[in-house]
Amino acid sequence: MFDNYVFTEGSCKNVQEGDKIVGFELETLITYYRGIPCSMVHDIKVKVDNQEIEREAIRFSPDGETYFTLEELETVTTYKWEYGVQGHVRVLKEGGLSKGEHEVSLTTMIRVAYIPVPFGGTKVRKVHIS
Amino acid sequence: MSKIKRAVSMYSLQDQYARGKMSLEDIFKYLNDLGAGLEFISDQMMKGTPEPSEETLKEWDLLVEKYKPVLVCNDVFINTCLYKNRELTDKEALDLLIKEIKLAHRLGFKMIRLVSNTRASIIEPALPYAIENDVVMTLEIHAGMSFDQPLTQAFIEAMKKLNSPYVGLTVDTGIFCRRHPRVSSAFFRELGVKQEIIDYVDNIFASGVDPKHYFMEARKQGKHFPDDLQAMIETQDEFEYALFCDGYEMSEFSILDEYLPYIKHFHGKIYEMTKEGVEYSIPFDELIKYLDKVGYEGYIATEYEGNRFALANEVIRDKENVTAHQNMLKKYIEAL
Repeated sequence: MFDNYVFTEGSCKNVQEGDKIVGFELETLITYYRGIPCSMVHDIKVKVDNQEIEREAIRFSPDGETYFTLEELETVTTYKWEYGVQGHVRVLKEGGLSKGEHEVSLTTMIRVAYIPVPFGGTKVRKVHIS
Repeated sequence: MSKIKRAVSMYSLQDQYARGKMSLEDIFKYLNDLGAGLEFISDQMMKGTPEPSEETLKEWDLLVEKYKPVLVCNDVFINTCLYKNRELTDKEALDLLIKEIKLAHRLGFKMIRLVSNTRASIIEPALPYAIENDVVMTLEIHAGMSFDQPLTQAFIEAMKKLNSPYVGLTVDTGIFCRRHPRVSSAFFRELGVKQEIIDYVDNIFASGVDPKHYFMEARKQGKHFPDDLQAMIETQDEFEYALFCDGYEMSEFSILDEYLPYIKHFHGKIYEMTKEGVEYSIPFDELIKYLDKVGYEGYIATEYEGNRFALANEVIRDKENVTAHQNMLKKYIEAL
């Protein structure tokens, strides 16, 4: 029901730091209708060409400036992921995504007080890295 | 002349805002064109809620001064699931509610809507702050979490005990569905839900009861659904379709009679405005006649929920549905 907000089209790119490609990043809107403190982001999963990325390699930023590990995110109550603002999901992976076509899948899950189970959405996109 | 008034909940325009199609300023203009008040969701359209920056507040003040929206209600959520490993304590939840009351006052609202399942235990200690800030606290009565739900009952008990003009209810008209929304059926059909399951749910409504009542016997026996429905369910989407269908209730309007002194506000829930200019599931003409008869003088705020059921890559027709619903409300209210 919120799948159309997951994984903004055209947002998946390799991330360069200095002269090295340190990973890749993609953007997503929240799977909800309001902003929430980052600690309520319950889980984020990324798959590349059907291979699950290990949790430890995933970072999340609510603003593209400050990045948290998923473990750290559990206590991040002062930063909000605002509604209508792109959240940044970064995967640390030396060399990033190789040139060519990839199938990238993003799942985001959040917790809210009046719904008994965490919920979210998944979107798979074909990504071209040039 | 009826005193029933019209507003629009910003739940309705979530997609317009998220996609950057409408700014808050655009929304204020749109509401003025419709002659409708504003039900705001500060968590949605005001950064930093419940403690926005001075700069954000200044932007709000300028827009309010320019467009003079009627500030009907702000929707409030208490994030009791803030931490993964525990629920907030009552003290923590109360602190959040007090911040929300103060913010509502600062923004110019005289009412907040507390989402269903908000704890009753924080209402009495919050009451002095509600009074001081002149902000009425209302719990939402929503289908699936309606009058018979234990947390709702606990709130109503506290509300009756306190018997204050600052504690009341917001009723969501999704409790008055006469048919299952067909936009939901179409959405789940696209996901592969079998027609026989869709027909099964439609037939429950056609028989004059809602799924909650129809499933009651099975649920007493610890089952999700009656055996014949269960036997049809093969996929997760079919399970969800059957599970969510009790989120549409078919109550009589008279269910509100005993709560009338406490009802401060309505969410006019819409799933789909048809070509004929009526809501597919909810008989608003009858509802408005009932509300007029019992002397209701508050707002009905359009809450478009069909956005949840947009088919893959289909444009969400939120503004069109809101405009059609507002025109319909206006027509019915003027005809009284």
